[in-house]
Amino acid sequence: MLTKKQNLLETIKGGKPDRFVKQYEFLNMIFEAAFQMTGIPMMPGPTSKDIWGITWTFMEGQIGGFPVHDEEHLVIKDITKWKEYVKKPLIPTDDESWAPAIAHANAINRNEEFVTAMYAPGLFEMTHHMMGMENSLMAFYEEPEAMHELINYITEFELEFAEILIDRIHPDALFHHDDWGSQISSFLSPSMFQEFFVPAYKKIYGYYKANGVELIVHHSDSYAANLVPAMIEMGIDIFQGVMNTNNIPELINNYGRQISFMGGLHSGELDFPDWTPERIAEDVERACKANGKSFYIPCITHGGAMSHFPGVYEEIDKQIDKMSKEMF
Amino acid sequence: MSKIEEVKAKVEIGKTKLVPALVQEALDEGSTPAMILQAMVDSMGVVGDKFSKGEIFVPEMLIAAKAMAKGVDVLRPLLAGDSETSLGTCIIGTVAGDLHDIGKNLVAMMIESAGFTMVDLGVDVPAEKFVEAIKENERVTLVACSGLLTTTMPALKEAVQTIKAAYPDQKVIVGGAPVTPEYAAEIGADGFAPDAGSAAVKAKEIISV
Repeated sequence: MLTKKQNLLETIKGGKPDRFVKQYEFLNMIFEAAFQMTGIPMMPGPTSKDIWGITWTFMEGQIGGFPVHDEEHLVIKDITKWKEYVKKPLIPTDDESWAPAIAHANAINRNEEFVTAMYAPGLFEMTHHMMGMENSLMAFYEEPEAMHELINYITEFELEFAEILIDRIHPDALFHHDDWGSQISSFLSPSMFQEFFVPAYKKIYGYYKANGVELIVHHSDSYAANLVPAMIEMGIDIFQGVMNTNNIPELINNYGRQISFMGGLHSGELDFPDWTPERIAEDVERACKANGKSFYIPCITHGGAMSHFPGVYEEIDKQIDKMSKEMF
Repeated sequence: MSKIEEVKAKVEIGKTKLVPALVQEALDEGSTPAMILQAMVDSMGVVGDKFSKGEIFVPEMLIAAKAMAKGVDVLRPLLAGDSETSLGTCIIGTVAGDLHDIGKNLVAMMIESAGFTMVDLGVDVPAEKFVEAIKENERVTLVACSGLLTTTMPALKEAVQTIKAAYPDQKVIVGGAPVTPEYAAEIGADGFAPDAGSAAVKAKEIISV
């Protein structure tokens, strides 16, 4: 039996996996190193501020936090003056801060799993977290130079962070968030995306790959089929969060030897209070049969190895095991 | 190309700095405010169609709407009190328990561009608040309720049913990622739209029935 890591590599290289890769099983994420997420709430609680000064709220009954974008809380009130509002946060460099992350990384069998650095929010998300979605999207047209400068500045921070991170935990994989679309379209046109984000991500992902990271997994639980060529150019190995609106079989057929697809099991349709094992079984069977055994990883679309409602993630795993027995 | 045609063309491609002056020039050329407004509404119809077809994306739609808003600013003093040019008031909000506002804001913008006067109640709006807003505002021809989460679909149902209980003839349109035409019909809504461009088309269609 192949290890989780070997099985993943066989799957994404068009080799001979001996079972379906089971969701996030191959990524062992070192959350202790995700210092850039400090202040972003992971559960309901009081309003908080992240390291860039973005105010967050996570209300009771919600499944995630939201940046607050009223006039008082916008970080960038005028994109042409972004330098007045945005200051790069400090990344901890002391041994004590990094000790838990290093201990976690050292405890992982690297033949079995990928030691995985986790990075969120991504560059596009940062622009709209700091100034609101509408302001941000209009600024790409109205103040393109300022947007280029801002994106370069955030990219510099990501690269500085990557340097320290790689030195400390020597990750084998990077799991990077940046939602690039709604469920039916990308937020930006491919040409605008190419202009503003592809060069920045080529730098970031190129840096990780040049420094020992074997696998880049990018999360965008959205439609992004029109951005897949750009993803390949950036160096992404796995597009995680791929929704069925992308026509996954067609993507696999067109791009499977260059990038793999992880998702196809929509959180909104499976992960809710009244979920049922029958519904999950039906959907996992559909996904596995429709998308096949190569270049595809059946997975919940949201960006993490968990479910919002107890038992959903585990039930999906169970049904993937069942499909592995049936199809391998 | 006449000035009014130029207004139309520049709104469509989101030339926010050019449109106000072109609107003034169209007025000077003899076009009436209502004609110019209609030309811009038509432009936004084209923009909405292109968005629905995937030919343009959210930024293009946003700057087109902003260009139209700049043009409307020039016309506003001339249109004041002219109810003939408005399709009535549309109350919009994201239902209780749901904080998502991006899709709702885009829909609001496109419905406004179609000729409605918008009253945006924001996010996490209890069903009763929609009813109060219908009561408090003049000539409410449409209510638009949005819900992005599977978990807030019951709140969408509650909103529609509370509105219909208080105002049985009130037209209500619903939308959001988990909403289907079947679900919209099941909960008693008058219409459903899958995206912001078609929401504007549907809004006009519903109130004309």
